[in-house]
Amino acid sequence: MKINKYISVILLTVLFFSCSEDFLVKAPMDSVNTANFWQTESDAIAAINGAYQPLQSYRLYNLRMWCSDIFAGNSIVGAAGGSDGIETQNLANFVTATDNQGVLDMWRGPWPGILRCNLVLKNVPGMNLDENIKKRILGEAYFLRAHYYFILVQYFGDIPLITEPQNPNDNLLVPRISKDEVYKQIISDFENAIDLLPSAREYSGTDIGRASKGSAEGMLAKVFLTLSSLNAENNWQRVVDLCNSVASLGHTLNPDYANNFDPLNKNTAESLFEIQYSGSTTYDFGSYENQASYVSTFIGPRGANMVAGGYGWNQPTQEFVNAYEVGDLRKDKTILYDGCPPFDGKEYSSSYSISGFNLRKFLVPKSIASAYNNNPSNFPVLRYADVLLMKAEALNELGKSSQAENALNEVRARAGLGSVIGLSKDNFREKVLHERRMELAFEGQRWFDLIRINKGQYAIDFLHSIGKSNMNQKFLLLPIPQMEIDKNPNLSQNPGY
Amino acid sequence: MRLSVFFLLLFVAQTFATVTYSQQTRLTLKMQDAKVIDVLSKIEDESEFFFLFNQKLVDVERQVNVDVKNESIDKILSRIFENTNVSYLVKDRQIILTTANPEMGVIQQQKTVSGKVTDSTGAGLPGVSIIVKGTTTGTISDPNGNYKLSNIPEDATLQFSFVGMKRKDIVVGGKTNINVILAEETIGIDEVVAIGYGTVKKSDLTGSVAIVKAERLSTIPVASIGEALQGQAAGVQIISSGVPGTDPTFSIRGIGTINENRPLYVIDGIPVSMGLNQLNMNDVESIQILKDASATAIYGSRGANGVIIITTKRGKAGQGQLNFNYYSGFQEATKVVKELNASQFAVLHNEIMGNAGLTKNPAFANPESLGAGTDWLDALYRTASMKNYSFSYSGNHEKTNYYVSGNVFDQEGIVINTGFTRYTIQLNTDTKISERIRFGNNLTLEHDLKKSGNYNIQNTMLALPTQPIFRSEGSYSGPLGQPIWNGDIVNPIGLAKTVENSTKGYNLLGSVYGEVEIIEALKFRSSLGLQANFGDDRIWSPAYKWDASIDESSSLYHQSGKSITWLWDNTLTYDKNFGINHHLTLMAGTSAQENRYDFINGSSENFQSDETQQLSNATNILTLNGNGAEWSLMSYIGRANYNYADKYLLTATIRRDGSSRFGEGNRWGWFPSGSFAWRISKEKFFENIHFMDDLKLRIGYGVTGNQEIGNYSFASVLETYQYNFNGKPVSAIVPNVMPNPNVQWENQKQANIGIDLSFLKNRVNLTVDGYVKNTEKMLVPMSVPVTSGYSDQDVSYTNAGKLRNRGLEISAQTRNLTGAFIWNTSFNVSLNQNKIISLNDSIPISRGRLGENYNLVLLQAGQPVNEFYGFVTDGIFQTQKEVDDHATQVAGNDQYNRTSAGDVRFKDLNNDGVIDDKDRTFIGNPSPKCFFAMTNTFAYKGFDLSIFLQGIVGNKIVNANRIWSEAMSVAQNQTTETLKRWTGEGTSNTVPRAIYNDPNNNERFSDRYIESGSYLRIKNVTFGYTFPEMLIKKINSSKIRIYVSVQNLQTFSKYKGFDPEVAQDGIDNNLYPVARTISCGVNLNF
Repeated sequence: MKINKYISVILLTVLFFSCSEDFLVKAPMDSVNTANFWQTESDAIAAINGAYQPLQSYRLYNLRMWCSDIFAGNSIVGAAGGSDGIETQNLANFVTATDNQGVLDMWRGPWPGILRCNLVLKNVPGMNLDENIKKRILGEAYFLRAHYYFILVQYFGDIPLITEPQNPNDNLLVPRISKDEVYKQIISDFENAIDLLPSAREYSGTDIGRASKGSAEGMLAKVFLTLSSLNAENNWQRVVDLCNSVASLGHTLNPDYANNFDPLNKNTAESLFEIQYSGSTTYDFGSYENQASYVSTFIGPRGANMVAGGYGWNQPTQEFVNAYEVGDLRKDKTILYDGCPPFDGKEYSSSYSISGFNLRKFLVPKSIASAYNNNPSNFPVLRYADVLLMKAEALNELGKSSQAENALNEVRARAGLGSVIGLSKDNFREKVLHERRMELAFEGQRWFDLIRINKGQYAIDFLHSIGKSNMNQKFLLLPIPQMEIDKNPNLSQNPGY
Repeated sequence: MRLSVFFLLLFVAQTFATVTYSQQTRLTLKMQDAKVIDVLSKIEDESEFFFLFNQKLVDVERQVNVDVKNESIDKILSRIFENTNVSYLVKDRQIILTTANPEMGVIQQQKTVSGKVTDSTGAGLPGVSIIVKGTTTGTISDPNGNYKLSNIPEDATLQFSFVGMKRKDIVVGGKTNINVILAEETIGIDEVVAIGYGTVKKSDLTGSVAIVKAERLSTIPVASIGEALQGQAAGVQIISSGVPGTDPTFSIRGIGTINENRPLYVIDGIPVSMGLNQLNMNDVESIQILKDASATAIYGSRGANGVIIITTKRGKAGQGQLNFNYYSGFQEATKVVKELNASQFAVLHNEIMGNAGLTKNPAFANPESLGAGTDWLDALYRTASMKNYSFSYSGNHEKTNYYVSGNVFDQEGIVINTGFTRYTIQLNTDTKISERIRFGNNLTLEHDLKKSGNYNIQNTMLALPTQPIFRSEGSYSGPLGQPIWNGDIVNPIGLAKTVENSTKGYNLLGSVYGEVEIIEALKFRSSLGLQANFGDDRIWSPAYKWDASIDESSSLYHQSGKSITWLWDNTLTYDKNFGINHHLTLMAGTSAQENRYDFINGSSENFQSDETQQLSNATNILTLNGNGAEWSLMSYIGRANYNYADKYLLTATIRRDGSSRFGEGNRWGWFPSGSFAWRISKEKFFENIHFMDDLKLRIGYGVTGNQEIGNYSFASVLETYQYNFNGKPVSAIVPNVMPNPNVQWENQKQANIGIDLSFLKNRVNLTVDGYVKNTEKMLVPMSVPVTSGYSDQDVSYTNAGKLRNRGLEISAQTRNLTGAFIWNTSFNVSLNQNKIISLNDSIPISRGRLGENYNLVLLQAGQPVNEFYGFVTDGIFQTQKEVDDHATQVAGNDQYNRTSAGDVRFKDLNNDGVIDDKDRTFIGNPSPKCFFAMTNTFAYKGFDLSIFLQGIVGNKIVNANRIWSEAMSVAQNQTTETLKRWTGEGTSNTVPRAIYNDPNNNERFSDRYIESGSYLRIKNVTFGYTFPEMLIKKINSSKIRIYVSVQNLQTFSKYKGFDPEVAQDGIDNNLYPVARTISCGVNLNF
């Protein structure tokens, strides 16, 4: 009797475990199973939103992109000196090595975005969606992919070109291919984007700020501008046409230069594309996904208590400050100097800085960003002023000097400067480049301008002229990070590194 | 067997010189119609007397009446046994009841034998039972060890037996005087050892299992039994973390995997995830460390890193025992690195600026005038206290044995604002309902409070000596003015003192079991376990304004997490002897375990008042997070042990594990093992080998696994993040980790061969083990180039690695001196070599990321695990010509931004004329070639002394603090090593020049920072005194011992950093150093 009772207990135990396979099925609670995705419109929109996100990271527009003005010679690192910002310091001293952290960030920054675009381009066409939404999403994916590749190709030259999402069984060790091939893909992607995207005016609500037809046209103009100056290909007319098309979409200059950097007034008529920040602190600086802009925190004068944070980065040089023409209204809106108008009611002192100057353009008062990590300012990527200057440059190359002067003078007028008339072609080109330097200062444009003109000789000459005697041909391209070559031995290194 | 409970005595002549207990004691008893047995137990309860008798001979069921007042035991007994054939003998507390033997008178040709029984030291052994073999005739020895037996036949054999000693048989022959020396039983040979889901006798072990008795360890002044285990077992490397409340790291038989290398902890049968520092050391009875695969395979997929089985104390039959332990002590840093003083720093800083053509700090124009300045490290460290109180009571009541204890441990850290306080309660019971049914429980309740502070040792080293800690008005100082002159380190003492960083743990570990003997030899056991861990982390950072260092708002981070694990084990065990020579034990069982972990956390800032430190009192919510995770494990277990005549021992185990951590089709794995042992000393041919007492050969092989790769490596998932448009958040779904649905178990195959031997009358015990451990299908991070777009940080695993460990372990215990002065030595030494056989597609894996630019470690096939990888230095360039003649390091026309005289010369290993990343090579292995420990214990009369030495040999350390503290490139203080810096041709060939921004990148990771990690340490010295029993009897105590103990007394090492005991990866970066502790304590037993 008793024995039977025991045996039945044991049997029950065994029975309990015989149906145990379910017991071993556990799935992550905080994420979406890939197999259940790509079903609804909100899936597709969430996926394309994800493709924008790497732009926010410190690897791109939250730090590294604007740091390029430092090695372009507009400013010095500042900061605490030494190991604080050493990677940017080394870039600026042209002793860049293959283990440079800044270079690593710039290399790594775009690829997650490219994958996310590739996933959208692969999965969305087959989805059952509203045609307009589908077109827009695909257009955004083409735009973003081209934008990411454009950053990479300018910094690194030849790169791997990956246009399909990869699986573990694919060959992940993709070699670099000629930058001409990459540019072909970029042009094709931007052209597709132009066809598919609506204009900025057609966006409303939480869609304002998405890539628009104007964004794609402006970026493609920049691609042709770059290729024309690099390869002496004659694409100048295409630049002009694209710039005109942007204007026809209703983009204009804002009345005040400072409107472009106003945290309370985002996505203005002048804006063609900007990185969106909400100021939410959910993701931290190091997490690659920032909802808050850190530029004010980084560039705020150290020890001045003018803004939350204040690491003192990106201090303009005397040479840069001297480059302002007398009466340039942009000076007081771009830099802090002894005797400048107070910022947020606080007087500036040159003792806050090693160079004697600090950057003002992106500073946000504490009334708006109370903490180092809750600044809601957007970061500008492409503005109509840039489009006008591209147009001026292209028209000048085409010999259409008066039209070129008009475009340039439109930008100068807002800066309170007189018109430029009757310069030679070479002098006009120089004037436009100078105007680009002042207008787009610290927005991460200067380096790309320096290295495209005269096939980069312009960069070498300019940097030598400001005392950067280490600069040479080799540094026109950044090194492929050794850490990445270690992971993918098929990657070759740029010459000289 | 029965001999131990009954004695027959015919002729007794015992006298006692002193007044004995029996003569002194007076008892009062009143019992009506009571059974004799009840009267006897009553006497046992009321007094210290105890009875020895044979129930078959003495009729204890007989009813008697007893009514005595203040009578001696003699009188009482004579009344009870009036008119019976029972006679009695009172020997102090021991009373022996006998019956007259009717056969006595008939025996002829008998003689008298006498003699003395002694132990190996020559001291007389009282109470030894001496029996004529095959009869019930015998006696016991008197307090001096003398005995006398009359009327025994000439051909009789005398059996001498005594608890803890080996039985000895001697033929009387013609002798009338027989002196006998009894040898102690080989230490612990019949000890029962926990091996997972069962126990075996130690002598029957076939695998490699280290056994540590916890008794000794509990007086070592450390928080965790883990730390106390250091050096106690061969093959087990334990590295303590100096941080109070942090468990040490274990590695058993080398680094078996590049992944999680932590052994499995099993506490009272429950595989746990908690730290050993949650246990009260005084509650631990014994620790078994299962090392080879034949021992660990019973834990299947979790056995690959070894298993540490901890058994807590249980109640024992007998009188209740109250035990109290207390110690108190203080701790201090073993060594503090020397830093530059203010005037030395000013000289250095002027040089840094001058060499780069930069303006010098005017405040440093006259360095002499600055004097010594601030000693920041001195302000960070302190002499800290440590206290431990613990008590326990154990005993039995009727059918239940119980053990209860309580403990308070309180430790301040040697760094300000750090510490660890722990409270534990333990309750273990066992109840025998009937001969066949038992049940019982274990319960540990623990609460701890860890103060982690906000110290930063590196920043404290780098803070400028020219800056005071406080400004005159009493607030903390901050660096003032230009950071390139005055640095930018936020006052490290200010942060350490104002930030409150604490972790509270609330932990429960409990189980109940029931055991039923279904039929003879077949037992079913079911046990249910629960582990619940609740954690509460809190960081409060008040706002500060210390000169230019400003944090305007106070902030609070608060996290609450809970982890609940349940376990249900069922085993059937069949244990039977067949004939005299065959013994078989079979065990089969199931085990199911499931865990769920949840947390929520949030942070907020802008508090109305610093007095309201709750998340909801802030105006700005910074973050809000929460998540959960689960895993489950289902297992079938089997084991067979076969023993033939104690000569041939066979063990075979098998486990089938199913884990939720792997995808469909990959969830299940088999983990078998087998081992064989041969007790050579039991063979016939061995009988004539007298110098050797025991010799056993063991051979084993097994397969174990490792599943510690996170919960969801197999899953293909998309993560939810955010983007925003026009200032409004929108959801973003992104692929982050490239999935590998095929990920599978990591397998480890280990072969072990070992010998246990004892010789010279058990004075020397030696165990030698050799092993080869092959880790196959090792989980290596998938090499996912960032160009794929998947995270380069979070990667999934692939089973593509192979790793080999080979090693030798020797441990020995010797009894060098016995007698009044006792000297014992135990020694162990372990050698291990590991080598990566292959990795994923032979692509090396970088590790050990430090700061911004450094990967210190490269894993590559053909190399040991975790080897350092960097440049090789070749002295200092003395002249510009030497720079020009050497391979290009940092070229350029800018005299302040290129390699110059005074910079470090790096070797051009690939001879391509350029110093670049391709000139890096392997520059040091952090794993020791060998580690060892030796304990010498001495005892004389009441005094005892133990000296414990421990050390490691042949490992390298990256003294990473030096990367910053000898960089001489910015306004940060440096160590006195930089006083030897290069200042001109011929001034130094080891320490480079000082220059702002370090253009040559002298600080790049190179062999400059690699130091020998070998050390020999006087780990512990304990000196104790046990009061003589005579004295303490008066307060009813059975033992009082007082002692002084010093932990980490002295270290012999060439290491330049704080302490050579650094983490397993050998990277000493901003580590909390190990402390020296001096303590005094007392153990009381009642």
